Amino acid sequence: MKIDLRLPILLGVLAVLTGLIALTFEKPFVTMSQWGYRGTGMAVVYNNKAIKASEVANLVPAAQDKVDKSGKKAREVYQNVQVLGDLDENEFNRLMAAITEWVSPEQGCAYCHGEDGNFAHDKMYQKVVARSMLKMTQDINANWTSHVKATGVTCYTCHRGNNVPANIWFNNEPGGSMAGVIPPKAIGQNTPVKSVAYSSLPYDYGTSFLENDAQIRVNSETALPGGNQTSLMRTEHTYGLMMHMSSSLGVNCTYCHNTRNISQRENNPPQWANAWHGIRMVRTMNTGYLNPLKPVYPATRLGALGDAPKLNCATCHNGAYKPLNGKSMIPDYPELAPATATKVSYVPLKTN
Amino acid sequence: MAYQNIFTRVQVHGGPDLGMPQKPAFTVLGQRGTQTFDWHILGRFGDAQVGPFYLGWTGALSLILGIFAINIMGMNMLAQVNYDPVQFIRQLFWLSLDPPRPEYGLSFPPLNDGGWYMIAGFCLTASILLFWLRMYRRAIALGMGTHIAWAFAAAIWLYLVLGFFRPLAMGSWSEAVPFGIFPHLDWTTAFSLRYGNLFYNPFHALSIVFLYGSALLFAMHAGTILAVSRYGGEREIEQITDRGTASERAALFWRWTMGFNGTMESVHRWAWWFAVLCPITGGIGILLTGTVVDNWYLWAVKHGVAAQYPLVFPPVADPALAPGR
Amino acid sequence: MAMLSFEKKYRVRGGTLVGGDMFDFWVGPFYVGFFGVTTIFFSVVGTLLIVWGAALGPTWNLWQISIAPPDLKYGLAMAPLAEGGLWQLITICAIGAFVSWALREVEICRKLGIGYHVPVAFGFAIFAYVTLVVIRPVLLGAWGHGFPYGIWSHLDWVSNVGYQYLHFHYNPAHMLAVTFFFTTCLALALHASLVLSATNPGGGQTVKTPEHENTFFRDTIGYSIGTLGVHRLGLLLALNAVFWSAVCIVISGPFWTRGWPEWWNWWLDLPFWR
Repeated sequence: MKIDLRLPILLGVLAVLTGLIALTFEKPFVTMSQWGYRGTGMAVVYNNKAIKASEVANLVPAAQDKVDKSGKKAREVYQNVQVLGDLDENEFNRLMAAITEWVSPEQGCAYCHGEDGNFAHDKMYQKVVARSMLKMTQDINANWTSHVKATGVTCYTCHRGNNVPANIWFNNEPGGSMAGVIPPKAIGQNTPVKSVAYSSLPYDYGTSFLENDAQIRVNSETALPGGNQTSLMRTEHTYGLMMHMSSSLGVNCTYCHNTRNISQRENNPPQWANAWHGIRMVRTMNTGYLNPLKPVYPATRLGALGDAPKLNCATCHNGAYKPLNGKSMIPDYPELAPATATKVSYVPLKTN
Repeated sequence: MAYQNIFTRVQVHGGPDLGMPQKPAFTVLGQRGTQTFDWHILGRFGDAQVGPFYLGWTGALSLILGIFAINIMGMNMLAQVNYDPVQFIRQLFWLSLDPPRPEYGLSFPPLNDGGWYMIAGFCLTASILLFWLRMYRRAIALGMGTHIAWAFAAAIWLYLVLGFFRPLAMGSWSEAVPFGIFPHLDWTTAFSLRYGNLFYNPFHALSIVFLYGSALLFAMHAGTILAVSRYGGEREIEQITDRGTASERAALFWRWTMGFNGTMESVHRWAWWFAVLCPITGGIGILLTGTVVDNWYLWAVKHGVAAQYPLVFPPVADPALAPGR
Repeated sequence: MAMLSFEKKYRVRGGTLVGGDMFDFWVGPFYVGFFGVTTIFFSVVGTLLIVWGAALGPTWNLWQISIAPPDLKYGLAMAPLAEGGLWQLITICAIGAFVSWALREVEICRKLGIGYHVPVAFGFAIFAYVTLVVIRPVLLGAWGHGFPYGIWSHLDWVSNVGYQYLHFHYNPAHMLAVTFFFTTCLALALHASLVLSATNPGGGQTVKTPEHENTFFRDTIGYSIGTLGVHRLGLLLALNAVFWSAVCIVISGPFWTRGWPEWWNWWLDLPFWR
């Protein structure tokens, strides 16, 4: 007897398709935290599995064992110690061991000091870079408490056991597999890359906002036109930066903003002002420490346009609302957060 | 369960319907075609017959210009992925042909820096206007009213506001909408972000009222007709000129439900106005943005319509205003 | 008596679902029925609760009145009245009123001997509302996830919930729903225009026929769906718009927590093209 199979086949195909589509989504359950007044829809959303994954990814390595002071300063014992000379010799060595664990666990001391046993020379570019990074770390911890508060940063905050931090950026580089596919006279947008959370927004906001000091704010302060000439394209640039900030911190726009009036200042969550300082800090570090290192790097470490690697929000935050979920390493390494440190100020690049 | 008249169970296939007679035409363009074919699966839902097609000179020109515009968009997108066809498909939704950058103002930019966008935009606009003319002339040729053409004009108004009138008023072609799936959505969000939240634009709100209202009305009207299709309700022209029990029951359903009703004709007038007012008010809202109002939230506050929320966070001073950094 | 010229013969007894003859009568043009009574009950109570909520708020300005749901911390429990409890009660009244309206429509259909397409279609809209204020909050574990009842304030909720996912336009179900909404508007304009153009040909001409309607669309776009088909299509488009809207919001949060652009990675990362 002939059975009409058309309906069962159709239902079967629909079931398979639905199953495949369902695979593209996340499984419940989620945790949502309210952020603003009830009913405004401001909240942060986390999938519970992602919370667990974040805890694992942000574990802080155990601190090096405490050492007794030897009574001698590092500069008295070793040569060419330019930044940490005032540290006690044993504390200095302890910090060196920690830095090795944080930045070059596989290559060990040789990564910066070479193989020949003479630790004082500066022949390795990595050592020159590391010296600059130490100054940068101390600068951040002493002079940028507006952003890092008392939590502070260490080399591990960015490097996380890697020679090169996982999240750095170069000028006009879409990043990853897209690099080089788009013609050099790039439009700078319309391709899905991580740096803009896979939207088609402009991806080179870094050059404008995290290196140069282009105006991020786009809104008018008055209801009627009052001379604000900001274009829609410029607005998309800012939006790209905001996508980066959101995905770097694993939060969404409502973490800092009430989008009913996204340019408001009063009644904003305190994170908004904190982020403002963060942007200035990133600009200052990029222009004051990282860009000047360009002559030091070999060509393999530079970007497609020959520029030095730079940092952005993701470099420290790595997807967490606070780096390392807010755990401070400073109590174990107070030498990285002195009371005062040389403050590098931001110098705007020449516009071209 | 009783039959609900959603899908046709029995299809009748007679000879092809070649259409109402039309005046003899001088050229091949002006003659209606004679090709038809019956698509059975289509016949389960609507009419099974596809064709015949009337080309006409407006149709032919519109088609040529439209294909040209789409080709320009496609070729530019292909260039963005270095002519790699696999990446073209993969990244299709992210690719786009973008308007010129703001620095060119209203001048014609270089081809690879916005010029192609201008050409594609011009061809697409011409194609659409020619299609409008086609709709108008066909109605006249068949001795019918021109309501479709005027409804189409409302949609063309919105299209021209977005791509022509507003950029002109703002002094910059860069304000126009990019030709791309995700990029045009980026444009939409950027537009709302730049101008202080478009939800507070009263014409935007009106446009949404008419959009949702159109969905509501079509669900109401279509549901009603299907509900009275057992009495021949879908024969709307005959029901209009000679009211039958289908129209009577349809009207009474709504009268008893909500206290008032339309007629078989007037419901189509309600529908026409709701559908047409959506793009008309939307176009007005877009045109006023950036030209007359620069921040819709602040405009709403000024006119006393923005809700107030209790303060939840401690006061935050604008760090940009603090002395030093 | 507010009756149309042909109405009397249709006012017959019967068709009720509940209550038999007790509420089977009309008040003016309105049919009452058991569900007419429950509709009035829920609407009046709900409206009075809204007025009470407005009285607790800072203003009587119609545009600014807003009844907010509870804080998330109350979870799925009943909150104090002034802290969101009123919102919860109003929601119950709203659902009661909408369902009553739909069931009243069913009774009217039965009385008139017509199909149930209209109440079924209304059911989709009720489903969308229930998704927003019941289904999604339950999946997220708190009634506070519902939207506030206020003319402009509910749009603030829409804006912020949208930006919770960085760029809501990339939500695939939202894209479908928007497409269906715009297509519904287009189809309504075309259908209404077509009928009016046939019955109002202008210039002293005779009223045209369905064959003219078919000819117009076959001439201009090569296909005419027909008088029955256009209504099936219209209903299909409108209901899909509402259905995918409900889907797009229920997946945001319970089944997706990242930015919506990132969802498309399954396509970008298909093995044969990286």
